[in-house]
Amino acid sequence: MKRSVYKSAMSHLKTSENFNEATYQKLMREIEKQESDGTNNPIQSKELVKMEKAKKKTVTSWTVGVAACAVLAVGIFAINQNGPAKDSVASPSATVQPSAIASEKPPILGKVQVNIDGVISEVSADGKSFKVGDLWVEVTDQTKLGSNEPTATAPSEELLQKEFKVGNIVSGFTSQDVASGRVTADVIYNNMAPAKEEAPIKGKAAVNIEGVISEVSADGKSFKVGDLWVNITPDTAMGIDGPTAAEPSEELLQKEFKVGNIVSGFTSEDVSTGKVNATRIYNNMLPQQ
Amino acid sequence: MYNSFELNESVLKALDRYSQSLIKIAFAYLKNMADAEEVAQDVFLAYLQKRPVFENNEHEKAWLIRTTINKSKNMLKAGWFKSRNPVPENLSYLPREENEVLQAVLALDKKYRIPIHLHYYEGYSIQEIADILQAKPATVGTWLARGRMLLKEKIGGAEDEAFSI
Repeated sequence: MKRSVYKSAMSHLKTSENFNEATYQKLMREIEKQESDGTNNPIQSKELVKMEKAKKKTVTSWTVGVAACAVLAVGIFAINQNGPAKDSVASPSATVQPSAIASEKPPILGKVQVNIDGVISEVSADGKSFKVGDLWVEVTDQTKLGSNEPTATAPSEELLQKEFKVGNIVSGFTSQDVASGRVTADVIYNNMAPAKEEAPIKGKAAVNIEGVISEVSADGKSFKVGDLWVNITPDTAMGIDGPTAAEPSEELLQKEFKVGNIVSGFTSEDVSTGKVNATRIYNNMLPQQ
Repeated sequence: MYNSFELNESVLKALDRYSQSLIKIAFAYLKNMADAEEVAQDVFLAYLQKRPVFENNEHEKAWLIRTTINKSKNMLKAGWFKSRNPVPENLSYLPREENEVLQAVLALDKKYRIPIHLHYYEGYSIQEIADILQAKPATVGTWLARGRMLLKEKIGGAEDEAFSI
């Protein structure tokens, strides 16, 4: 095999005679440097340097970011504050401090009226003050009673009672500050007694008796329909009475109450007791075959 | 992992064993002996600092060669390297034929030059070169074939004589 000319040429290439020696010394210096630094792992120290650099970069970034935000905030604040100053063309020399603008509110012109509306929960001993909600309202000689509008009718005794009582419904208004919790009424439109409770309905309520007899008493004069026991008394009317009513047939109104019979009628007694006397029985018929 | 003593020992052994190989590879890349030696020194320094762990001597040598190539590439990219005008390496001391062949190889593009160097000087197979250069074996084969063809065109030779560099 022919020897490679290239390999021969490369082998004859002259290199520094002391390359290995110089490199060896360089390496030894590096080793000593590592030992004197107290770290045998230069990679770790490099990583530390990298981390420190990254930390510095992060801190710098944050500082720049915060500074930029601060500049923006100041700029926006300044722009907002300059806006109203531009409007004051008439007095350009009069510079208003931003804090003064913020604290000074425009004066309120005119009266603020607050409605008094509600039910009196408490009345003072002299009867000239009453409490509506959390507000004590005083009625003085200056308080106008009733509406003085031109189209308003004269207040009736019913709508505007003279005496303020607990439970009365009052309405009116005051122009005083309600925040104090006590005001003098300017006007009282109404002071009326609450609507009285409606009287209980009197009269009888008729309840239908309708269904299939499930049980019959031993004497045959009571039967059970659903959960209700129904007594048949001598006062119980049988059949349908009326000018157009036909005579009850034996088929529709049997004399004997039996289990399974279909009954209909009504009672005027309270069914909640579970046992009533039948006022009338219309039908008592056998079940259909 | 090495302890410090073992590491230092292995680096110094590698210096004795592979320094010439690394200098020659760097020279094939940079075409300048001073630069090649500087790169080789940096490679041994990297060995000391990075503390690589090798399976065997071949693995160690392959790592050193790859590091040499990478460091040579970095040097070629460096601004100071590009901006200078180095005096061409004086190879007149070599025999005429060797000088001619070496000059022809150095004149090749580096993508052909390095595989040729690794194959004809280091004796690596196509597969081994592919592993070192992190390329496909077929690609390395193509680089070698084209490099040989270019060298044949430049150096010539008898028609019936097998071309050899």
